[in-house]
Amino acid sequence: MRAYFTVFKMRLRMELQYRGAMIGGIACQVFFGLILVALYRALYEGKPQAIPIEHVATYVWLQQSFFRMLVASDPDLLDKIRSGDISYDMCRPVDMYGFYYVRIMAQKLMGSLMRGIPMLVFAALLPKGWGIVLPNSVPGLLAGVMALVIGLLCMCALENITMAFTMRTLDPRGIQAMLNLLMVTFSGNLLPLTLFPDSWQKVIKVLPYSQLLDAPIRLYTGEYPVSEAFKIITIQLLWTLVLGAFGMYLWGRNKKRMIVQGG
Amino acid sequence: MSYIEVDGLKKTFTVKKKREKGKLLREKQTVEALKGVSFSVEKGELVGYIGPNGAGKSTTVKILSGILTPDGGKANVGGRVPWVDRKEYVKHIGVVFGQRSQLWWDVPIIDSFSLLKDIYKLSSGDYEKRLKELKDALQLEELLRTPLRLLSLGQRMRAELCGSLLHRPELLFLDEPTIGLDAVSKIALRDFLKWENKENGTTIMLTTHDMEDIAALCSRVMVLGHGQKLFDGKLPDLLERFDTVRTVSVKYDGTDISLKVPEGASVSQKDNEFFITYCPKEIPTARLLVALQDAGTISEMTLQPENIDHLIAAMYKELDL
Repeated sequence: MRAYFTVFKMRLRMELQYRGAMIGGIACQVFFGLILVALYRALYEGKPQAIPIEHVATYVWLQQSFFRMLVASDPDLLDKIRSGDISYDMCRPVDMYGFYYVRIMAQKLMGSLMRGIPMLVFAALLPKGWGIVLPNSVPGLLAGVMALVIGLLCMCALENITMAFTMRTLDPRGIQAMLNLLMVTFSGNLLPLTLFPDSWQKVIKVLPYSQLLDAPIRLYTGEYPVSEAFKIITIQLLWTLVLGAFGMYLWGRNKKRMIVQGG
Repeated sequence: MSYIEVDGLKKTFTVKKKREKGKLLREKQTVEALKGVSFSVEKGELVGYIGPNGAGKSTTVKILSGILTPDGGKANVGGRVPWVDRKEYVKHIGVVFGQRSQLWWDVPIIDSFSLLKDIYKLSSGDYEKRLKELKDALQLEELLRTPLRLLSLGQRMRAELCGSLLHRPELLFLDEPTIGLDAVSKIALRDFLKWENKENGTTIMLTTHDMEDIAALCSRVMVLGHGQKLFDGKLPDLLERFDTVRTVSVKYDGTDISLKVPEGASVSQKDNEFFITYCPKEIPTARLLVALQDAGTISEMTLQPENIDHLIAAMYKELDL
């Protein structure tokens, strides 16, 4: 168990090495956040919607803060697979799936916290209607955080599937592009899910994507009552288990048919 | 039973060829990387494993280190089958791939080492003791706090070796460990391997293209070609078998030299320099030298024993590799 914890810690520290990238990332996402909020404000000028603009702005900022949890993947890990350095990891007495799972988790967690916290501070300083509002209730906040954590677990399971596929195709771009497209659409990154038609929302809600970030945010804003939390977390856990099991299966199969190319 | 027992190991890879014009599907081609290789290695041996590129050396190492599953044959290392229960097996072995890295690129190497400590569940006492031993032997003290990316190739290889030996493996695989190293680093690396083999009784299996590695380290050498084992024995025996042709060039004081060489040797002349080609198995070198000296006063002479690389090249040619 210790080894998994240490690799998690190492990956966190590695993320800290790229402070320049972090600052760049924050600047980029703040810009995006401001543009999006301005866009929705313009939309609301024309025709006010049922959801108050403060909530939409909050949605945008939370979304931007934890964006890194959703997309992006560990470039080092992909390099390892491509270059064959993965063979070193195969001669270690560790479980490959778990070993990579914690690495992915560390990267996502550190990456989003390092960017997210300064951004949330910034967003809190913006005037009402532009910035983020306080959570609807304390239980709502707690349920939201809990859902976010389980969402992270689910995300990592999903990304480990990408890794397993990359071991076959050697090129992560195809599957990543596909997953990222599904992700930005159905996680509410492209357009808040609340703005999708109701009939769409019914389907979208049971997909794993909407549970990752959308559900936690809605718990935060109080759009979902706290009593919904149980249902949401159950769906999340279910997806985490399914995706985790599938990932483990793929890794197991890869092990059997793996070829490390070159001398 | 020997420490390593390999019996009829087979591995086939499927390669898809480029699609030919006019054909709809790509043709598949199977490449037999190993066609039934057998050998055994005793504990504490230092074995060299050589062969031209693509002979199947690395494939053997990958199978024996639990990374690949073979298509046929048996292997047993210290009572375990490498590809069955990989996690348990790999605790007892160490691997160094000369062209890959196991240490983390961006963090100081000491941090990579402490990760290895946790991976192999070493106690702090054991770890500290072993680390001290290795860092002294490999002169790593000053490099421990440096990120890997700042190290030179030679320094990096020393760090890699240290990383692979922290858990005191019984068996160490080295896949081209001296590739790209300068003379000083190579010699230091060889000295270290000898030391580790002697001091800790670590069994070492080494693949290389550098014949000096083999000459300096290995009492035993195995030659692999086209996925088959072609030779297994001592290096001098291997050299003797393929040491076929040598050349001597001689210059004499004065002219008008009548040179009589033993039967079987051939002579060519260019100005006042003679080139004698002979086979050391048929004509002992000493006998030839006497004949050369009888012909006049020698002013200059070079004896060119085939260098080891030429010998190996000749051997690959003879074995049609």
